[in-house]
Amino acid sequence: MTIVVAYKWAPNPQDAAVGSDGSVDFSRAKSAISEYDPVAFELARQVADATGAEVVGVTVGDASIDTSLARKAALSRGLDRLVIVADDRLAGADSTRLAAVLAAVVRGIGDVDLVLAGESSVDVTEGQVAMTLAGQLGWLGLNAVSSVSATDGGYAIERDVPSGTASMVLTGPAVLAATTDAVLSRVPGMKDILGAAKKPVEVLSLDMLDVSSAQVTLTAVSASRPAAGNRQRVIIDGSDPTAAAAELVGALRAAKVL
Amino acid sequence: MNVSSQTWIVVADDPAVTALVVAARALSAEVTAVVAGRRATAESVAAAGVDRVLWLGEPAEGTPVEAYAPDVARTVADGAPRAVLGSSDGAGRVMLGAIAALLQAPVLSGVIAVEHDGDQIGVTRSVFGGVAERRDLVTGGPAIIALAGGDVGDPSGAAVPVEEVTANPLTTGRLTGVRKKEKAPVNLGAARTVVAVGRGLKAKADLALITGLADAIGGELACSRPLAEGVDWIPKERNVGISGQQIAPELYVAIGISGQLQHMVGVRDAGVIVAVNSDKAALIFKQCDYGIVGDLYTVVPALTAALAPKP
Repeated sequence: MTIVVAYKWAPNPQDAAVGSDGSVDFSRAKSAISEYDPVAFELARQVADATGAEVVGVTVGDASIDTSLARKAALSRGLDRLVIVADDRLAGADSTRLAAVLAAVVRGIGDVDLVLAGESSVDVTEGQVAMTLAGQLGWLGLNAVSSVSATDGGYAIERDVPSGTASMVLTGPAVLAATTDAVLSRVPGMKDILGAAKKPVEVLSLDMLDVSSAQVTLTAVSASRPAAGNRQRVIIDGSDPTAAAAELVGALRAAKVL
Repeated sequence: MNVSSQTWIVVADDPAVTALVVAARALSAEVTAVVAGRRATAESVAAAGVDRVLWLGEPAEGTPVEAYAPDVARTVADGAPRAVLGSSDGAGRVMLGAIAALLQAPVLSGVIAVEHDGDQIGVTRSVFGGVAERRDLVTGGPAIIALAGGDVGDPSGAAVPVEEVTANPLTTGRLTGVRKKEKAPVNLGAARTVVAVGRGLKAKADLALITGLADAIGGELACSRPLAEGVDWIPKERNVGISGQQIAPELYVAIGISGQLQHMVGVRDAGVIVAVNSDKAALIFKQCDYGIVGDLYTVVPALTAALAPKP
């Protein structure tokens, strides 16, 4: 059996330059394994160690996601091998397009019974791709998964639900998005990083994949910087804490929020 | 694809739908709801001001609502609506994902406004975690929109009949039990005032300082991600940000929080934001209404004292 870790190599929007026209420039932001994904690698490794399954990392995006640094960063996190689709036609692709390409890769790998992902990407922050992937594959999609373990003929999982923790058994393929604290992710050591260089990487051509074409498209009309940036920014020196506190409380009372 | 002028909402066994109904009504005169989950949920939705309810039948014991996602998608595709609205919570995402996959259309998240633009639908949304906003026209098929669900005001309109639709839910996952939380769930979203603390706090024992201020100001305690997940000092349901709650209190007090985007996204809609941080270059001072540059260990007790009733 094979467990797929669907992850993203992405920059943090915190480091993007946002123009007054709302343009977002990521060219000076460094990419990394998206902040919410390491937990998916760790869960996959732990389950595979118990079952003997193979762990395959899958990532899709524009050409910039396939670098030696990006390959090593993923392979040093417990993958057995890596499959990449890196094509500039996927630059800025929406969640459904990315999910369609991921689905084509998962189908091509075959023998996959579990896809693990983080709960959101660090850049787009929508938390949608994994669940659309479940839709593409026709598999059960579940969010907020806090633990996964192998059982006879399937998996036992736990999920965070509003009333507490729900237990489930899975007897067929599923796409699971893990909570950020499902497991503590190991930081790759020197041995992992050196070992990463020897692991196989397969680069697939987008043209070779059976990806259904988008029916609905978005036409950009306008962009802007969010108005939420326009806060008052009244800064008070706190070197005299009592005076600062009095000034703040006075201002909050005047603003009628106290 | 030939689309009707209808708006549909999809419901994943959550009876709190008035926010979705209000948003759907703003787009079209006729609103149809597709409900996966218990009959009681469908009955409740039927009385929430919609014109038609299609219910996928009573789930067998142990069937998770997510198992109905393929049925929801087929039902929606058959109706060919102009817009589809669903909740942006966990199960809502699964339903919208299945619809998006079937119709090959993107799910639009972070939505600020949706309106007709001629015979198209225009959607304004916040992108990349909120650093920018974009307005797009949706062409070629339905606009699939994820919104914060929940109830806004009371449902209105006469109850409509619940029409049952045949469904074949996935049988690959079965619920076996729920371990209830020991404490009552925290409702940060309903709090008028929230006092949050971040990595500036040096020790768990010092939390008393923050809870003291929260009590004095009459607010709920919250935190940024490191305190809920890194060190586990504060229960996770009090975590504010991308990986936690998105809230809009009238007053948000952020103590020892640097102001990373992933946190601030959770309070973008707060009325007034106050920051206390010892680093005058902290990002949060660019995103607050009032900021005190100072040591939280001296500023917070002073604030608590300043808020105390005068003798």
